[in-house]
Amino acid sequence: MFTTGSKTLIGATTFAVIAAIAYGIAQDGVRGTVGLVSAAVALGTLAALNATLRDSNVFVDDPTPVETTAAAQRRAGASAWPLGFAFGAVTIVVGLVTYQPVFVIGVAIVLAAGAEWAVQAWAERASDDPKWNAAVRGRLTHALEFPLAGAISAGVIVFAFSRVMLWLASKTNTTVAFSALATIVLIVGFTFASRRGAKAGAIGGVLAIGGIAILAVGTAAGLDGEREIPVFETTSLWMQEANEHPEEYAEGAEKGKHPEGFICESPEKFPEADKKASQTVSLKANVVTIVLTPEGGLAFDVPGATEENPAGITIPRSNPTNFIFKNEFNDDRRLSVDFGIDDDGFREMECTPLVEETGSQVLTLTVSRPSFAAQGVDNGTTDDAGDYWFFVPGVDTAKLRLLVP
Amino acid sequence: MPHRKTGTSVKPVSTSTRRRKGLRVGAFAAIGLFGAGCAQNAPQDTWDPAGENAQKIHDLQWPVFAIAGVVGVIVLAVIAFAVFKFRDRGQPIPEQTHGKPKLEIALTILPALILIGVAVPTVGTLMALNETNDTECVVNVTGQQWWWEFDYPVQDGCGGIDSPIITSGQMVIPADTNVLIRGTSRDVIHSFWIPRLNGKRDMVPGRIHTLRMQANEPGIYAGQCAEFCGLSHANMRMEVAALNDADFEAWKANQLADYESPTDELALRGEQTFITNCSRCHQVNGLTDAEGELVVSRPDLQVYSGAAPNLTNLMTRNTFAGATWDLIDPQRRAEVWEATPEEFGDLYLEGVTSSTLNSVDLREWLRNSPQKKPMYAEPGRLEQTDGLVRGMPYLALSEDQIDELIAYLLERK
Repeated sequence: MFTTGSKTLIGATTFAVIAAIAYGIAQDGVRGTVGLVSAAVALGTLAALNATLRDSNVFVDDPTPVETTAAAQRRAGASAWPLGFAFGAVTIVVGLVTYQPVFVIGVAIVLAAGAEWAVQAWAERASDDPKWNAAVRGRLTHALEFPLAGAISAGVIVFAFSRVMLWLASKTNTTVAFSALATIVLIVGFTFASRRGAKAGAIGGVLAIGGIAILAVGTAAGLDGEREIPVFETTSLWMQEANEHPEEYAEGAEKGKHPEGFICESPEKFPEADKKASQTVSLKANVVTIVLTPEGGLAFDVPGATEENPAGITIPRSNPTNFIFKNEFNDDRRLSVDFGIDDDGFREMECTPLVEETGSQVLTLTVSRPSFAAQGVDNGTTDDAGDYWFFVPGVDTAKLRLLVP
Repeated sequence: MPHRKTGTSVKPVSTSTRRRKGLRVGAFAAIGLFGAGCAQNAPQDTWDPAGENAQKIHDLQWPVFAIAGVVGVIVLAVIAFAVFKFRDRGQPIPEQTHGKPKLEIALTILPALILIGVAVPTVGTLMALNETNDTECVVNVTGQQWWWEFDYPVQDGCGGIDSPIITSGQMVIPADTNVLIRGTSRDVIHSFWIPRLNGKRDMVPGRIHTLRMQANEPGIYAGQCAEFCGLSHANMRMEVAALNDADFEAWKANQLADYESPTDELALRGEQTFITNCSRCHQVNGLTDAEGELVVSRPDLQVYSGAAPNLTNLMTRNTFAGATWDLIDPQRRAEVWEATPEEFGDLYLEGVTSSTLNSVDLREWLRNSPQKKPMYAEPGRLEQTDGLVRGMPYLALSEDQIDELIAYLLERK
């Protein structure tokens, strides 16, 4: 009664209606629900049109369209591809109103199901022998299907296992889990390989159980979330730690875990932050260059020819400004900037990691307070007690005013 | 529908109908032509350069326009001739031919030669406009939805500036001086354009773009953002006021003068109202609270893009709210805009007084800013910006508070 095309559209309409209901209940979103309902209406209209026009294969006023159309001469075999195609179409629509990856998955499903459907329909018309038709289809598609199916299955298994690895409580646990799985795979593989009469069905069954188990555990682990992964210690984190936990910080210094004092005031090497810092950087945007000269002074260069007073750099407020620090001194040094005491009473400084001789580092500053409001800035002079200052720990002559209007 | 074969004919259109159509077309064309030349007050007229760089652009665009105009007229005339002469009068369809290599080659080479002729001075002008080595004064320009901030860094140029100056809406430059503009943006891409002084330069967040600007003589020059930047892009304007050297020094000194607390009672109350309602975002340099502590604004905590206009010397400017409205009344505005170069400096430095204040627009702005200028500042629109505003929010000020604020702001110069 219904033609092939209209069956697809009816299926798509049904999925769209279900998705609209599910989305509306789950997300409580008006826009998404309206979108899905619109899609359902559009698909339903197309389904009705297509059913009326008999897939446009015959004239609307033909009295016996079912018996005379070319599409009706040979009944199509049972196939899940139209269902997959319709599912992919609805996934696309759902992805348009939810997440982009869902949309991409929908497109992939539509392309794959569409291609498979087209090939199957073509193969079924190749001859009157279904077995030969199946062989022809296999010859064309198996070379692509099996590797892709294998890659996708492997990808899904690997991804599921990766969620498990990220979910486990520690790195040690992940090593144990990985070793355990590898051992199980080795044992199972050896068992099957050593039995001459192992049936394909049994092997397939064991693999399927194993795959489903990993998929289920991986899904559960993914939904539960990753374990807390420790953050790499940057210079900003060291400053924060020193300000917010001064006792523990001092204790760490006493135990020799790190040098004393604030990192941005210290010419010594701190763990993690100063370790393996890249000594070459490149920035496309125009930057302010600050150079620690061999004589121990700070020189700077800004974009565009200027007549700027060498006493200071002026940058706009509340706008990220990039500085490249180049060390031409004869020792490892860092560039620091002193913002004085902030509203919470903490010493506010920022700095680069230690820079080797001839190395470079980037410092991006976003300054929200004007420099005339600076408090407690120690610039080592009695002049201009306000303002912010660049300085280089360990090089007393390296000072440069930073002005923020 | 059958195709008409070569040699068949159709009934021609009547002469009177053709004549009526022709008259209608001609009338519209004439109206358009004359209407295009009717602009009397065009402060952003690129055909009226007032600076060296604008003159370079002008010197390029005139000959290119002339060439393009001649070519355009010829092409239109040939089309019109062909349309008229070979219009359908029932004659047989002419024989269809294909390929005239010599004509095609000629019609390719000729435009190429014309374009090469245009490209040479164009490239030369572009390279000349990019030169910034001869600048003598630096101004940092920062675009933000939907206003412009100008700050003058510490420098030897501009006659020497020892402490940064900050202003917004109106950029003041010394006349007859090459000014280097270092431009950036705090949020989206804007474009800085003062048509009578220079071409456009995009202001891109995370980048600094330089532009050279120069005004031949003292005066005021209008501009606006030239890159669509959101809801109030059309309301993001700016002005450049060029002053002679002496006036510029006087302006600088005034900008760096120490803060003076008002003596007038209403203005004093306005100072408190400002501290309570406005200082969260707007900075007035030197303003202190009752305990003598500096009042430091934190617009980064209120405004999505991180800053708000500095109002330290608001009444030395002629405009507010992204230079969208005048702070001065229409009569005063006309005086300023029509002043001769010799008169302009004194008029501009006088600033806004109580007798020349445009209190209508300022009151409306203080009463309900989002209603006056489209911005993302209403509570219902803040979801996407984590509760931070784009623009000035509605402050629910009473009329008394507005009176106090205006009295206070009038003394900010």
